[in-house]
Amino acid sequence: MNGFAINGLALRALSRAPLRATLMMLGIVVGIGALTVLNVMGEATRADTMKRFRNMLGTFDTVMVRPGAGKTRGMVSLTNVPPTLKFEDAEAIAQSPEIRQVALLQNAFGVDVKYRDRSDTPAIFGVSANWEQLRGDDVAEGRFISDEDIRAKSRVAVLGAGVVSLLFPGESAVGKTIRIGGVPFQVIGTLPSRGAGPTGASLDDLIAIPVTTASTRLFNRDYLTMIVAQLRNPERADQAVESVRSLLRTRHHIATAALDDFTLTNPAAMLKNVNRMNSILAGLLQGVAILATGIGGLVILGLMLAGVTQRRGAIGVARAVGATRSDILVQFVLEAGWASLAGGLTGIVIGAAIAWLAVRAQNLPMALPLASLSENLAFAILMGFLGGLYPAWRAARVDPVTALRA
Amino acid sequence: MISLKNIGKIYQRNDGASVVALRDVSFEVQRGEFVTLRGPSGSGKSSLLNIIGCLDRPTSGTFELEGIPLAGLADRELSQIRSRRIGFVFQAFHLLPRSTALENVELPMIYSGRPVDRTKALEALARVGLRDRADHYSAELSGGQQQRVALARALSNDPALILADEPTGNLDSVAGHEVMSLLVSLNEEGRTIVLVTHDDAVAAYANREIRLCDGRVIEDRSARAESISGEAAQ
Repeated sequence: MNGFAINGLALRALSRAPLRATLMMLGIVVGIGALTVLNVMGEATRADTMKRFRNMLGTFDTVMVRPGAGKTRGMVSLTNVPPTLKFEDAEAIAQSPEIRQVALLQNAFGVDVKYRDRSDTPAIFGVSANWEQLRGDDVAEGRFISDEDIRAKSRVAVLGAGVVSLLFPGESAVGKTIRIGGVPFQVIGTLPSRGAGPTGASLDDLIAIPVTTASTRLFNRDYLTMIVAQLRNPERADQAVESVRSLLRTRHHIATAALDDFTLTNPAAMLKNVNRMNSILAGLLQGVAILATGIGGLVILGLMLAGVTQRRGAIGVARAVGATRSDILVQFVLEAGWASLAGGLTGIVIGAAIAWLAVRAQNLPMALPLASLSENLAFAILMGFLGGLYPAWRAARVDPVTALRA
Repeated sequence: MISLKNIGKIYQRNDGASVVALRDVSFEVQRGEFVTLRGPSGSGKSSLLNIIGCLDRPTSGTFELEGIPLAGLADRELSQIRSRRIGFVFQAFHLLPRSTALENVELPMIYSGRPVDRTKALEALARVGLRDRADHYSAELSGGQQQRVALARALSNDPALILADEPTGNLDSVAGHEVMSLLVSLNEEGRTIVLVTHDDAVAAYANREIRLCDGRVIEDRSARAESISGEAAQ
């Protein structure tokens, strides 16, 4: 078999009948186009969500420990958590072989802050010295809280970008003294802007102060709102979560059958499936798109079958001049295959273009999920192949004697 | 070249009835002969041509082409024989309408499994006087030109045997004469030609005439000898 030349015949049959070829591609173009829009949009949304979580957390390879049995919704604060997570718990977790280091948080929202005649009500984050480093960030100006500040319970503050712009518009904040809940703090640094978090709220409306200072001089509370424990080995996240769990259960004297009085989260595991299929609607749309591609395969089937009837004479001649049944079979399957490949590629290009416009309109990061796109292409080719197989089989079985009699 | 012994062909019609197309047909054709098969419609001449062309198989009897018995050969082998040894010409031309003359002539080369030889295809077109029409679509050609392209197509794999089924049936007398002259010249260079016709003028080009009626050979006459000879005389 002269495969190249037979392939040439298949391509010629398509190119010499452009209207028919376009119709053959149409269903595949629509179906694959819709699938591509969904894939690209889905990936863009997912990437955006990941970016927001990264803005907030810095790293996903941690175990986040919150007090309470998973009842707290949204951001923790002193007003919505039970007073069960202690400083000593954090020290104990830091000793675990699975854990590299722990960062401490004791925070409250909407605290009155004043500088001269200007005021703001940001979140106050009492944090350990490694907080900012664990979030993968550094100060924009000045310095962050040091271990010495923690030990000395210094009244020092590092301002988020939002607070800086409200309290110190057009001037330097470092070295100034502000009042947090009436207590004077010296500004030692400012943070770069972090943008929005997962809920869309700003991550810049906060002031970080030493967690010891927050606990003893501001809030007068001895419990934490969160402990962030950094994993030594990200591969061992599950083991780390279990070791922290058993450690805290022992420390909190929880009976074997009783529930935890804390919540452990590994952000990496939580985010693994985020937005992959985030709604029933998206699933429904995807089903419709797959159905459309399937109908595209049926369109190919119908047009190819009509083509076999129409081209009986040509098939008879081909057989008479030496084509074997498998030559004819291969030629017709290739014809359907090329139509579906072209349809699939066109669908991907059109779909990606539409998705790109939508992504740009919504200000999402541009994403190109190559794996999904090549799956779509393979799906298109499969549909064309399936649609072409039966007509090709019929073509191969055309009896040259009867075909040539006409 | 061709040896038919006691060939019978029975068709099974769709309604289940069987139709006898050929009964006990036996004759031989030597290399270089120009034979016409004649007879009224339904006499079995086309069935016979299809069997000689390896497009159809006889129900009974033995058929040898160039000494090779064809019974029991697979589709692939029969296709290869058609591709390399036989050229077909049909009454309705059967050119691919959306292809150029040259592409039509190259078609048998594609299915022969050998590389497509464009020079040879152009030579075949030159042979039928249509070298300058190579890039014309077949629908743009006149009937006579189309049949000459079909003849070039039959020649493209350089076959020793050319089978023609009413090649002039759809042509006017001038175009018909052109086609017949080409067939005669092909015969003169040694190719065997078997032609089905019911036209006396066409039959006159041949040097042997086999008449069929009701699936039987009723006459086998060599035109040059002007004598009637039965099968026994062969």
